[in-house]
Amino acid sequence: MAKPAVILVGADKGGVGKTTVARTLLDYFGAHQTPVRAFDTEHPRGTLKRFHPDVTDVVDVTAVPDQMKIFDTLGSAQAKVTVIDVRAGLLSSTLRALSDIGFIESARKGQITFAVFHILGPSIASLEEIAETAAMIGDANYFLVKNFINNTSFFDWDPATYNSYFKRIKGAEEIVVPHLSEMACEQVEVASAPFVTFVANKTAKGEAANYSFVLRGYVRHWLGNVWGEYDRVKLIDLVAPKAASDVRQQAAG
Amino acid sequence: MSFRQSVTIVASPRKRVGKTLLARLLVDFHLHENRAVAGFDLDAGDRSFARFLPGHVSTAAIGDIQEQMALFDRLVAADDVSKVVDLGAKSFDQFFEVAYRIGLAEEALHRSIAPALLFVLSPEPAAVEGYRMLRERFPNLALTPVHNELFGSLHQREAHPLLGAGTPVLRLPVLAPALRRYIEVPPFSFAEAWLADASDIPPAAHLELQRWLRRVYLEFRELDLRVLLADLSASIRLPR
Repeated sequence: MAKPAVILVGADKGGVGKTTVARTLLDYFGAHQTPVRAFDTEHPRGTLKRFHPDVTDVVDVTAVPDQMKIFDTLGSAQAKVTVIDVRAGLLSSTLRALSDIGFIESARKGQITFAVFHILGPSIASLEEIAETAAMIGDANYFLVKNFINNTSFFDWDPATYNSYFKRIKGAEEIVVPHLSEMACEQVEVASAPFVTFVANKTAKGEAANYSFVLRGYVRHWLGNVWGEYDRVKLIDLVAPKAASDVRQQAAG
Repeated sequence: MSFRQSVTIVASPRKRVGKTLLARLLVDFHLHENRAVAGFDLDAGDRSFARFLPGHVSTAAIGDIQEQMALFDRLVAADDVSKVVDLGAKSFDQFFEVAYRIGLAEEALHRSIAPALLFVLSPEPAAVEGYRMLRERFPNLALTPVHNELFGSLHQREAHPLLGAGTPVLRLPVLAPALRRYIEVPPFSFAEAWLADASDIPPAAHLELQRWLRRVYLEFRELDLRVLLADLSASIRLPR
């Protein structure tokens, strides 16, 4: 039986595109027919839940009952992949809380697959966050995400300095989310639909829509590039090995 | 699938190879066949396509995303209106980069619109490279090379290394120099009614022009047939 997988998506700074990345992950797992559930910690009103209401619950990750809701059900939930969209600024404290409840240790023992998607901000302070976060995640799979969706420039970073932080974390992988036109982003926001639904020219309720073909095309192209990054780091193999094997068998057959 | 309408891009990365004339003829051909048609002038230079056929052609641009939406969303609109684009050399690279990213050909086919590309041949490396790129990037586009006979007969395929032995080429027959002056002043249409009313064209020239037009329209009908046959064979191949 596949072991449960937990993916934390977080940043210690707001506005870096954390929820956008979480949304691309939910679409990615959906496209790979991998059952996934999500927890949106933007309590009480979650942005992630607006786009993926059927698979997302809004929780207060600092509250014990909600911690039980997430972590006590990892093994029993139908969805073996859990994505947690951590409220901005709470990545470090969430990791400390996970350590306190023994989650990090369970991951270290191989009972759970644990991955952290750390969405980086453009300022030099982000580099220091990497060091702080890395110290807490143990053997988790650590993905440093540079999000260029809003044309963020990471010019503050001296490449040598960045590399020195990057290399401190064994097995860390970099993921690049490319730029997407502001107008396309805005239209998807207005539609309140998952990216794949928008691309398919459907409303959030699954009815036929009339979105701009150009904007749908740009979103499809962008999403393909993002998923290409997830393919490159073998994300499906990591969190759902059986699903990866099934997909390969289907492709070969 | 059977196509209700088409979108045809007339292109070359080179200037002054006959793109605009070809686009004009295509618009008039559609009208001759009683088909609704709309032209788009993407030649930022002289906008002659729009000046020749102001009732059927509008100017367009693709510099920013709003302009791209205004053009490309219209090109794939399932409105039973065929579209013809005169793609200026300056916009060649950007147009096809956008078309590739947003999946123009695939979207057109999805909406039962026949996407076609008329590429006017010339031997320069940029043109050869442009043709190669289009063939690779747009397998779903009916890519038809065009030879403008004003530049001489189509030599053996050495001048166009990417043309295979059986590649159908659309020929744009040369128009006698004496007749060219009648068609080079905008506005001008090749429609019968327009030509009939053109009192400045003497009867002999009128007859010659009609003969030339019939040869051009024959080439277009063969192109229509090829697109139809390609659609038919795809329908037969595809499992239902």
